[in-house]
Amino acid sequence: MAALDINNLVKDYGAYRAIKDVSFSVGAGEFVVMVGPSGCGKSTLLRCIAGLESVTSGSIVISGRDITLDEPSDRGVAMVFQNYALYPHMTVRQNMGFALRIAGQPQAVIDAAVTRAARILRIEAQLDKKPKALSGGQKQRVAIGRAITRAPDVFLFDEPLSNLDAALRSQMRVELGRLHAELGATMVYVTHDQTEAMTMASRIVVLNDGIIEQVGPPLDLYNYPVNRFVAGFLGSPRMNFVQAKVSGLTEAGVQLTASGLDGNLSVSVADAPLKVGDLVTVGIRPEAFRDDPTDGWILNGAIAVIESLGRETLLYLDGGPLRAFDSESHEGYFAVHRTRQITARHSDKLRVGIDPDAVYLFDQFDRAIAWPNAHTTNQK
Amino acid sequence: MTHFSRAKVFMYGFVSLWSLFVMLPLLWMVLASFKTKRELFMDPLGLPGKWTFGAFERAWGVGMGGFLLNSAIVTAASVALIVVVSGMAAYVLARSDSRWLRLIYLLIVAGFAVPVQAVLVPLYQMISAAGMLNSLGAIVLPYAAYGVPFTTVLFYAFFLDFPRELEEAARLDGCSRIRTFFSVILPLSGPAVASAAIFQAVFIWNEFVLALLMLNNPSTKTLPVGIIALGGEFTSDWPAIMAGLCIAILPILLIFVLAQKYFVRSLAGLGK
Repeated sequence: MAALDINNLVKDYGAYRAIKDVSFSVGAGEFVVMVGPSGCGKSTLLRCIAGLESVTSGSIVISGRDITLDEPSDRGVAMVFQNYALYPHMTVRQNMGFALRIAGQPQAVIDAAVTRAARILRIEAQLDKKPKALSGGQKQRVAIGRAITRAPDVFLFDEPLSNLDAALRSQMRVELGRLHAELGATMVYVTHDQTEAMTMASRIVVLNDGIIEQVGPPLDLYNYPVNRFVAGFLGSPRMNFVQAKVSGLTEAGVQLTASGLDGNLSVSVADAPLKVGDLVTVGIRPEAFRDDPTDGWILNGAIAVIESLGRETLLYLDGGPLRAFDSESHEGYFAVHRTRQITARHSDKLRVGIDPDAVYLFDQFDRAIAWPNAHTTNQK
Repeated sequence: MTHFSRAKVFMYGFVSLWSLFVMLPLLWMVLASFKTKRELFMDPLGLPGKWTFGAFERAWGVGMGGFLLNSAIVTAASVALIVVVSGMAAYVLARSDSRWLRLIYLLIVAGFAVPVQAVLVPLYQMISAAGMLNSLGAIVLPYAAYGVPFTTVLFYAFFLDFPRELEEAARLDGCSRIRTFFSVILPLSGPAVASAAIFQAVFIWNEFVLALLMLNNPSTKTLPVGIIALGGEFTSDWPAIMAGLCIAILPILLIFVLAQKYFVRSLAGLGK
């Protein structure tokens, strides 16, 4: 097992800076997922670690050894590509043993490594087939097997499940979790799918526009996002955001008003230099809306879309004059999540409450200044 | 009849007529090779009175076997040289962002524009100065040089679409650039290699002018030049010439029929 350290990494493509002074560490045996929207630099960062892209400045260190300028094959890393990148003219066995063959290993060593990897991934029966005879899931297993035979210090995964269908993706998520536990290897995994990040990671690195927004365990990031980007990125459906104004200051926090919502909302804010008239953003998770509200803000909406998923229901509420911004839907509907089956139809009225203890607050620079009380209590 | 089917009938009719136009001389050549000299001149469009292989025997007698072997060696050597040189050049050109290499690519493309007749004299002088006249190398090198631009452009288009992940996987597996080329890229470039090889083989097999200029010794002559021996100053054995031509086109026709799709693809690939 090996630790990986990224120190002040910068990657320029001509005048465009794709990675902007990024630093983070991956502990030995850790499963770190780098997540972010398309073009945020996560794949570039992974390719820099793999040695497939040169680095403009900064260093990459594996177990104390600076590998920044090393050839990809000398770094002690193995990479699993999104498109599998299996050699079509070789059998599964040859694909998996290719790196060891290039390294001049004896055939017995190659055979042993391939057999072991095939057993771990349960693909012994496919060893003599060509890649074109395999299904997507089997191809991905072979690609992972090829990485395992190399026994690398660090495994790198570049969106390995993106080409699989939903059912297989969820199956492979479990497989990868099992593999990580079984091998105890250090793994860095890139995805744009926050579900993969939340379910598999020991820690998540959220990237945006070439910088790290936040690093931490999945639930920490979900419960305590440092800014609106992280809050919006993690969670599906996205957090609902409403523009509000500070209408008064109280001993514990602030009072907020929002156009389209009646009354004030008192939110506890610790150590935030807010003053009356400041604009803030209120964030409400889809699962945080209350049924049968009596106090706080009350949202009277009409159901615009209903998604019944069996054990849960997603409702998209049209708030009339009140619109959620940066929302899941382009129309500014509010996403409401319920952990039960709901029999409702399009245009049915729904009344939900926004609990002051369940909201996130972001200042005008989109920095988080208040989190739901329940999380704070849990943390403490 | 719909407009569509009328257009189809017209197209098929046109293509059939065109095919006949192309095929008739070949048919005439085959028939002529079975005729006597007298039949050829008295009844040029009729069928042979007696089907005889005499013309083929006379043609073979002037050394067709040797010409055939020379043509095969020249074609195989030239095609191998063209494929290896163009393949490596195209790979580097397709993977590089260098402005200079782009300029070199343009120069290679410009190689198309140089007609072989324009360089015959300097080429002859160079080959002569190198002491290579009357050796198979005297035409292998110019053929390869003339084949490289077309094949490089063909491979270039192919390599632009070649999945980079495979090369990256090979790099991670420890392959050098050259090893990646020979272990991963070339084995997966079968269609492009076949297209290039067949296209060049047809051209080289049929090439006449350079071979006529460089090869005077009967032991080194290729088929197109060798067949000329059947024609004299005052009289020519036309049935034997036709029989020789039939023998000459047979191998390449066979390759063409077997690998027709690659030949078409080589031309289609240029449009990329």
